[in-house]
Amino acid sequence: MDQPSKPLSSLRVLIIGLIAVVVVLGVAIIILVIGNAGQPVNLEKVDVLAGSTDECVTCHRTATPGIVDQLSHSTMAAAEVTCRDCHEVTVGYPGAVEHEGSYVLAAPTTAKCQKCHEAEVAQFYQSRHSLPAYVAVAGSKDLSPTLMAMYQSIPEGTFAPDKARNAIAVLEGPQITPFACENCHSIGIPAADESVGRCQKCHIRHEFSLEQARKPETCNNCHIGPDHPQWEIYQESAHGILYATMGSTWNWDAEAGNLTVTDFPAPTCALCHMSGFGTNGTTHDVGDRLSWYLFASISQQRPNWEDNRSHMQSVCFECHNKNFITSMYTGADAATQQVNAWVQASNDLVAPLQKQGLVNTANFDEPLDFTYFNLWHYWGRTTKFGTWMQGPDYTQWHGAYPLQQTLAELTQMVNAKLQAAGETP
Amino acid sequence: MYHLATVLPAVRRLRFPITRDQAMLLMLALNELLLGVETFLAHSISGTIMPKEWIPIIFGPTAGMCLFLAGVLAIRKRSLATVIATVIYLASIVVGLLGIYFHLVRAVLPYAPLGERVSIPLFVWAPPILGPLTFALVGLMGISAVWMEQPTDSGILTLFGGRRLRMPFSKTSAFFFMVSLGSLATVISSVLDHARTNFENPWLWLPTGIGIFGTVVALVLGTLTTPRKSDLVIYMVAMVLLVLVGMMGVVLHILNNLAQENAIVVERFLRGAPFLAPMLFSDMGALGLVILLDPREKDESEGKVDEIQPSDNLGDKRN
Repeated sequence: MDQPSKPLSSLRVLIIGLIAVVVVLGVAIIILVIGNAGQPVNLEKVDVLAGSTDECVTCHRTATPGIVDQLSHSTMAAAEVTCRDCHEVTVGYPGAVEHEGSYVLAAPTTAKCQKCHEAEVAQFYQSRHSLPAYVAVAGSKDLSPTLMAMYQSIPEGTFAPDKARNAIAVLEGPQITPFACENCHSIGIPAADESVGRCQKCHIRHEFSLEQARKPETCNNCHIGPDHPQWEIYQESAHGILYATMGSTWNWDAEAGNLTVTDFPAPTCALCHMSGFGTNGTTHDVGDRLSWYLFASISQQRPNWEDNRSHMQSVCFECHNKNFITSMYTGADAATQQVNAWVQASNDLVAPLQKQGLVNTANFDEPLDFTYFNLWHYWGRTTKFGTWMQGPDYTQWHGAYPLQQTLAELTQMVNAKLQAAGETP
Repeated sequence: MYHLATVLPAVRRLRFPITRDQAMLLMLALNELLLGVETFLAHSISGTIMPKEWIPIIFGPTAGMCLFLAGVLAIRKRSLATVIATVIYLASIVVGLLGIYFHLVRAVLPYAPLGERVSIPLFVWAPPILGPLTFALVGLMGISAVWMEQPTDSGILTLFGGRRLRMPFSKTSAFFFMVSLGSLATVISSVLDHARTNFENPWLWLPTGIGIFGTVVALVLGTLTTPRKSDLVIYMVAMVLLVLVGMMGVVLHILNNLAQENAIVVERFLRGAPFLAPMLFSDMGALGLVILLDPREKDESEGKVDEIQPSDNLGDKRN
């Protein structure tokens, strides 16, 4: 047998010394970490890209300093996500433009976001925010067969397969609609690469702040105004009051998927509809917890309304008891059906005119068309949204009351039309 | 008399079917498997596993399975099995070091102004920088366990071709040091993780205290040439406490992840308190306890020889 090598015993003290140093340093780190525990990462105070020599960063720091400054203080930049990761594509990529010797997408599509956020994009694709939002204004006639199939697989797509461009968008024309309906409804616009939607509608570039995306002001970009006044209703509700008065103390950067009432003592739009909260996992399908198609003139229950309802109620259960929740849902179901009955009454009123060709409400060429449309699109919806989101003033004075008034006006208009046509009202 | 028998004399009457090194290797193979599972869960947090994140997920179970097969192969061809195991453990060290690098670059801001590139909050919120170290530690312990030490506790390892390397410490001392460092890495990881909650829950102090205790006790024991019974009793208590604190951690993490009415929501288990992570304390405790077993090879314990036995025809150049 070979003789043992020369003893390495001279290293004994060195090794013990080094291990002791590591242990002492380790314990020091432990003490330091405990001393600094609970401190948030204040990236907004650190310019992550201050010393970057990246060509995109250095050039755009002069050309468009605003976006570089935003990105410099983002978690994206801190996580080593570069401009190229999102913007750069290969030659010939649909929608690519040549830029300083490479090919880029001016606005990265969901196909690019999907590389890192696969689950979120898949959930978004199944939601009202994807193709149904776009089709509601632009119609579906220009969708490719692939996109058409995708559209029809989404619950909102099967409910209202509207194939034509929205009549109001036609009426207002291309000078107005890009700044109006299309602006919000572009959240579901198809891109040249056949991916769908714009993540940046909610995750505003280039900071991509979790806090910004979670705050209800982000939703008020679109969910505002007489036809979908969710923002105003939320502000009126107890939930919104708590947000307005206490929201500054909430844990806006809490880690997703594990939120509790300690982080968010009262709900926001995102918490009820999207967050991992209660027994729900996080979802980017904003319809996942909804029972009714409230946006429709006559609301129907959604295909999976019972599952959806249990998802939403699980959020409610974090603060409310079963009796409260059941009573609220029973009442809101009844109120929704009541609005349905009023809208049906308006349909019944107008039906004889339509039957006789005395009016075409889709044309928006006479006051009756607007009155008939306002009844459900403004007042009907507002009554329903106000009921479900606990905004009594919106249910009453911005909803049910003007709905009754409009119904009376519509009755008068229909009768006048019938009389003018020699019919008995 | 070996350490466990010193603490519990009744153990001497028991005959273990496997040697200490075999027990260690079995534990380490299991470690590789579980590390793969744990890494899969940890890398699933974002919902998308990036290509480089698959490395440890694939490596862990593959290494674990190969090590089990190498263990079976060792019955007939020990040298070949030793070579295979050494390669796997070396790869494990590489995977661990790569992981530390990838996690570390997420915790620093290389282009930020000097003084703001590294901060404690960043280390707290970044992926656990010491998590991948477990792969490296398992690799190091595996390489130590796989090479035969003869005579027992001499620090002389028999390498390929019968060459013998005299190490500065006996294998037993080296194992104590490794458990000490492993325990330290575990407690630092847990402190970084728990710092997110500001240590508001008093239970969080338990793994911190017991982890530091286990670290220091294992380090001291490694430096003692002939530890007394009282030293060994304290060490054993420290290791048992590590095992218990790990098990308690699993229960507490699971309870913390349960939603209302104890409902299980998968996402909360993925993104909430990592329910397998506390097992690292138990792992270190168990590995620490294995060190106390009889370090002699089987032939020696049966009083046959104090010399390596050629078990196959691979590279055996003994005279």
